[in-house]
Amino acid sequence: MPNPPAERSRPVDPPFSPILLAGLALAPVPPRLLQPLFDAALNVVRRRHPDILDRLSDYPDAVIGIEPVDLPFVLLFEPRPDRPVLTVLRDFSGVRLSAVVRGPLAMLFALGEGRLDGDAAFFSRQLVIEGDTEVILALRNAVDGAGIDLEADFRATLGPIARPLIEAARVGGHLFRRLSRDMSLIRQALIGPALKSADAQSARINDLERDVAAMRRSLRAREQRS
Amino acid sequence: MTALSRPVELVCPAGTPAALRAAIDAGADSVYLGFRDETNARNFPGLNFNREELAAGVDYAHGHGAKVLLAINTFPRAGQPEAWHKAVDDAARLKVDAIIVADLGLCDYAARKHPDLRLHLSVQASASSAEAIRFYHRAFNIRRAVLPRVLTVQEIAALCADVPIEMEVFIFGGLCVMAEGRCALSSYATGKSPNMNGACSPASHVRYIEKGDKVESQLGGFTINTFGAGEPAGYPTLCKGRFETNGRLSYLFEEPTSLNTFAILPDLIAAGVTAFKIEGRQRGRAYVANVVTAFRQTVDAIGRGEAPPVFDLDGITEGGRQTAGAYERNWR
Amino acid sequence: MTLPPLRLIPPSPARQRPAGALSMGPVLFNWSPDRWRDFHFRIADEAPVDTVHLGEMVCWKRQPFIAPHLAEVVDRLRAAGKEVVLSSLALVMSEREREAMRDLAAGAGDLMVEANDLAITADLAGRRHAIGPMVNVYNEGTLAFLSRQGACRVCLPAELPARAVGVLAAAGLADIEVQAFGRLPLALSARCYHARSRSLHKDGCQYVCAQDPDGMPVDTMDGRSFLTVNGTQTMSSRYVDLLAELAALKEMGVGRFRLWPQSCDMVAVAHLFRDCLDGRIDPQEAGERLADLVPEAEFANGYIHGREGHARVAEPLG
Repeated sequence: MPNPPAERSRPVDPPFSPILLAGLALAPVPPRLLQPLFDAALNVVRRRHPDILDRLSDYPDAVIGIEPVDLPFVLLFEPRPDRPVLTVLRDFSGVRLSAVVRGPLAMLFALGEGRLDGDAAFFSRQLVIEGDTEVILALRNAVDGAGIDLEADFRATLGPIARPLIEAARVGGHLFRRLSRDMSLIRQALIGPALKSADAQSARINDLERDVAAMRRSLRAREQRS
Repeated sequence: MTALSRPVELVCPAGTPAALRAAIDAGADSVYLGFRDETNARNFPGLNFNREELAAGVDYAHGHGAKVLLAINTFPRAGQPEAWHKAVDDAARLKVDAIIVADLGLCDYAARKHPDLRLHLSVQASASSAEAIRFYHRAFNIRRAVLPRVLTVQEIAALCADVPIEMEVFIFGGLCVMAEGRCALSSYATGKSPNMNGACSPASHVRYIEKGDKVESQLGGFTINTFGAGEPAGYPTLCKGRFETNGRLSYLFEEPTSLNTFAILPDLIAAGVTAFKIEGRQRGRAYVANVVTAFRQTVDAIGRGEAPPVFDLDGITEGGRQTAGAYERNWR
Repeated sequence: MTLPPLRLIPPSPARQRPAGALSMGPVLFNWSPDRWRDFHFRIADEAPVDTVHLGEMVCWKRQPFIAPHLAEVVDRLRAAGKEVVLSSLALVMSEREREAMRDLAAGAGDLMVEANDLAITADLAGRRHAIGPMVNVYNEGTLAFLSRQGACRVCLPAELPARAVGVLAAAGLADIEVQAFGRLPLALSARCYHARSRSLHKDGCQYVCAQDPDGMPVDTMDGRSFLTVNGTQTMSSRYVDLLAELAALKEMGVGRFRLWPQSCDMVAVAHLFRDCLDGRIDPQEAGERLADLVPEAEFANGYIHGREGHARVAEPLG
């Protein structure tokens, strides 16, 4: 059985971007006010891409956490074949997750549309996966295989209301790329001292882990001699 | 350079219908794919084709002048070969252009039951010599063999001259460092066998553990690697892990790296190879589109006798690193 | 181009061996020529095994070392009443290796040859031969095909669970053999990891594999023993031990059990397995004695129980 991931272990640092700023503005908004938007999104997916749920039919009881690290809320996806649910929440507290995927919203969007290779994103460490890797992989493959085009899907379903949302996401992605480098400098200046102390801490953890490994080896050697 | 006298075939991965369309739109001559079960060696969650999707895929491919090769390349379960036999029967019924098989018994079944169905020998059969390939050809009328990733270009050239059938080689993507189809490392760690269950280092047994600034990758509870902050991570495929031997930590088997043959593609073509295979049915359609486009242009340029264009595919390769693998002798 | 069809011979019925035969596998490690010869002399004189396999399965660069002693070892073993089987190379690639395999098939005389790569099977077709554990026999379809080619004995791949072993044994097409002791061969490569671990290449390997008579330990980063490297071959770190499963496997129709040579006292190991098969000692006591014989080893039996190969399962089979 997979280990449930920690409720909210070390998140990916949010990149500085308009999405982050928009997220700060959204922070006081209760998630339940956003819920109708996500219900609509899920309906679009069900109608236009039924094969996604078909590809996830081996995981009817999965509870998948999706955490856009630059927004003040998280998503919960339950791919139950008869009644799939996409819930928006403030955080994962009290939720028993099968797995969670974390990353900047622009990257999660790009992944969803297959514009970005999931393996490449993970290899570069911009996405973090915890918990049941198989469920996340199934979701990735299902979504990628459906050939989603969020813009077309939303336009087809929501009509003109979709436009500002799509524009926001697109501009966000563009600015995100431009600004991320500058932001890393600012971030370094602001929290450099704290990072340094964290570095020292992880160096100590590294030392301890090496000691444990060495002790394991010597213990094994001793057991073999006795 | 002079223009090629014979066409070469670009064989491209299709993990999903969307990837199939992406590969064909990007210029694939053939796509290879599998059913959504353990009859193929990329039995990954959420991947592959059901019968309806395959039928639609065959239509799309044939409508664009491309071929569909169906991989049925795991080894049927003792006493329960029905799923594999049905896969072969359905392949013939749905008019795929060839099936890719590894198991002797399944070759035998296909050759007897569907003598007109074209058979390709999977890399999983690990046929690394002219004798082995001729054996499959004589016994089952195998028409093409996918060569294991253990041979040098010189050995491949000698082989092509020595066998009466077409040869296919891998040119890009994930790289098995062991003889394929004869590796039990993954089942030793996880209990799931690539040969029987169709997945190496299955995701169900993979864990990424965040430890401070590091992320540790585990397979079946064994630590396969750790990555520091900013260091490119890898999927914990067993043979790409870091291990300790004689007190020294190293990538003992292979670095997290991808096979890339751009530089030696003209040599492989000159060696007499017919078909060139891109690995990656488990990768997304963005990857498939990028890689197929790059190789289409490269192969076409070589075909015209021109210098091939230069591509940078570092961003989509594992660990951001590439190797010509076993094709170069010093890899051994 | 038309080639003549393969010669087919009718399958010979598997011999019933209620006692269960013991085979000593070929030495997989690079032992010194003297050690290799003396090991087999002692097996000939003292070990209660029915069959002894000779030949280089892993790396053809080692073959010249054992070649000078091969004839005298064959003679000694046969004089002692042992059946000798010649095991072929497991990954045949180069012209030299291919030629050697042709010579092996042509020159084996009345000795049985065990095919560990399909490179040699065409040359063996039409006469009695054995199929080794590096050839993929997973199901009755493959078994039937090989049996029609003349295969009369098949040592199954390590990872097959008892359920599959039972199906193959019940098919009655060939004498079924199971790997029962020693480090398990898990993978093969064109690359030499012994050489690579010393920053060398296979071509200039300096035969560093000779330094590890039981293979080179491969540990995980956090200090757990995991695998063993033997040149181009990767093996398990744990030793397989099927003492507790012998009776159940015999009951299923498994006719033979293979012991892989390790540097421990293999004569004593063979006696333990023989005694256990014959019911002279109970499996638990045999297991304890085995642990005493190989104090450095950790044991596993996961594969036969349908589990991870490294697992140690206490429950009985079935």
